[in-house]
Amino acid sequence: MPAVIETDELTKRYGRARGIEDVSMRVEAGEVFGFLGPNGAGKTTTIRTLLDLLHPTSGRARLFGLDSHDDRLAAHARLGNLPGDFAYDERLTGREILTFFAEVRGMDGLGRAGALAERFQADLDRPLGSLSRGNRQKIGLIQAAFHDPELLLLDEPTTGLDPLMQEEFLAFLGDERERGRTVFLSSHDLDEVERICDRVGIIRDGRLVAVEEVAEITHRAYRRVELEFAAPVDPEEFARIPGVRDLRADGTRLTFRASGDLDPVIKAAARHTVTDIELIHPTLEEVFLTYYAGGEPEADGSA
Amino acid sequence: MSVSTAPGSATRRSSARAGAAPWSAARTLLAVVAHRLRVHRRAPLVWGGALGAMGALMAAIWPSIEDSMDELMRSYPQALKEAFNIATLDSVEAYIDAEMLSLIVPLAVAFLAVRIVAQAISSAEERGHLDTLLALPLLRSLLAAGAFAVSAVVVAATLAVMTLLTWIAGLAAGADPSLVVLARGTANVWPLSMFFAGLAVLAAGRLHRAASVTAVATGTLIAMYVLDLVGRVSAPMEPVRWASAFRYYGSAVRDGIDPLAFAGLTAAGVALGLLGAWLLERRDIA
Repeated sequence: MPAVIETDELTKRYGRARGIEDVSMRVEAGEVFGFLGPNGAGKTTTIRTLLDLLHPTSGRARLFGLDSHDDRLAAHARLGNLPGDFAYDERLTGREILTFFAEVRGMDGLGRAGALAERFQADLDRPLGSLSRGNRQKIGLIQAAFHDPELLLLDEPTTGLDPLMQEEFLAFLGDERERGRTVFLSSHDLDEVERICDRVGIIRDGRLVAVEEVAEITHRAYRRVELEFAAPVDPEEFARIPGVRDLRADGTRLTFRASGDLDPVIKAAARHTVTDIELIHPTLEEVFLTYYAGGEPEADGSA
Repeated sequence: MSVSTAPGSATRRSSARAGAAPWSAARTLLAVVAHRLRVHRRAPLVWGGALGAMGALMAAIWPSIEDSMDELMRSYPQALKEAFNIATLDSVEAYIDAEMLSLIVPLAVAFLAVRIVAQAISSAEERGHLDTLLALPLLRSLLAAGAFAVSAVVVAATLAVMTLLTWIAGLAAGADPSLVVLARGTANVWPLSMFFAGLAVLAAGRLHRAASVTAVATGTLIAMYVLDLVGRVSAPMEPVRWASAFRYYGSAVRDGIDPLAFAGLTAAGVALGLLGAWLLERRDIA
């Protein structure tokens, strides 16, 4: 079965300016894929190239196994897209916009727009221009999902939503995953990505620097270790262990970062009387910041 | 970096769901046109109303100035009469033709056509609307065709409103204008407007900004008008009039509609629009 999204050395340059460079990835059916990176990293360029709004300089992209340019109508019929800053004619109501989109999609009615409007507490009968940013974003979410697409492409979808609605939105994405739908979620909100995504891709300066499962990326990265002993110990004993960094000794307390296999650390600690031990996995945010601070985080395997 | 690890999600789909059956291009085009017509539903009343009010004024004052027209015509320099294609002012229709249909109406209505196209493509691009629209199963060329078709309908409706207002005012003032002759004169503006609508589609096929598209199309509109004007009054410049769309506009009130010019201007507009749609398909959306 073809991947829902597949890119092969996808590159987009704007003259001499960088867009994205050699982005290769696969997103499988039923997956919630987080696409992480700060503003300007290439997230939106990637999505706009997938949608054929931008033509790639080189490389190719496929959606549902269909070429993103040659077969775009067939591909677009099966996806829903929420742009980073959803905007449409402000004189029109949400219902008018959805009615038009439904006509273009060949639908008989408004699909599940009513149910989604109820879920997100969206008013479909007010002109877009009279809505707050958050309420406009709700209309954007509904237009992306009302036709029950197989793939949702969401670029910073929770922008402008209040915390309660963000929760509802994440619950909606969870429901979509349960129904077998695929979600490509571009975000710089690491908390929401960590909570909902199965895998994340991290893009930096236009290049995809990592694609991993969320659980894997946080577990495989370094851990903060805090050891409390009954009596002071020689810190050198731990400093010699491969993967131990930033070691600090404070009386009977040792703190350090450890990456890779923890067995030598545990065995070294076991030679003393341990009164307390704490292992803290970094949050996705800490991992992400590590990537942006200068490359991949210390880890025990290949990324 | 190439990564193809399997996802960790527990739920998998074993087969792709069939997408929504795509409509035929004609039905999609119809949906686009109907949608844009709703957006521009007030334009014929606003533009046609304004131009119709001017026409109504001309028609209403005609009975009071009719007797002085011979003297007025004699006072006009020959070059001025040639420039504005004025032969005689012996009827209310000829008066409206000279005062409005030779300059104000073609320029204003062609500008309206350009504006409709620029709004549908370039302005929508600037405001980010195309990112939403073109994620639908919608060809860019259909979007361009829809913009052109909407401009055709709105321009026709605007000219109809203008004609009716002028005719009614003329009747009320006792000028007794001929609806057929008036309609002939205003209908002749339509292919000229379509030419510039097509030019606007062509510009939108290359340019990303609505202001640029409008500037190119209206700049060409004015340049062609001036070129035709100069060609009328200057014999050495007469041969270059062929390059101006206004060369083929003429006076339908006086001479009737030239079917060849009507069809030629319309066909040229359609050809420019097709070229623009082709270009739009091939460029990036900003």
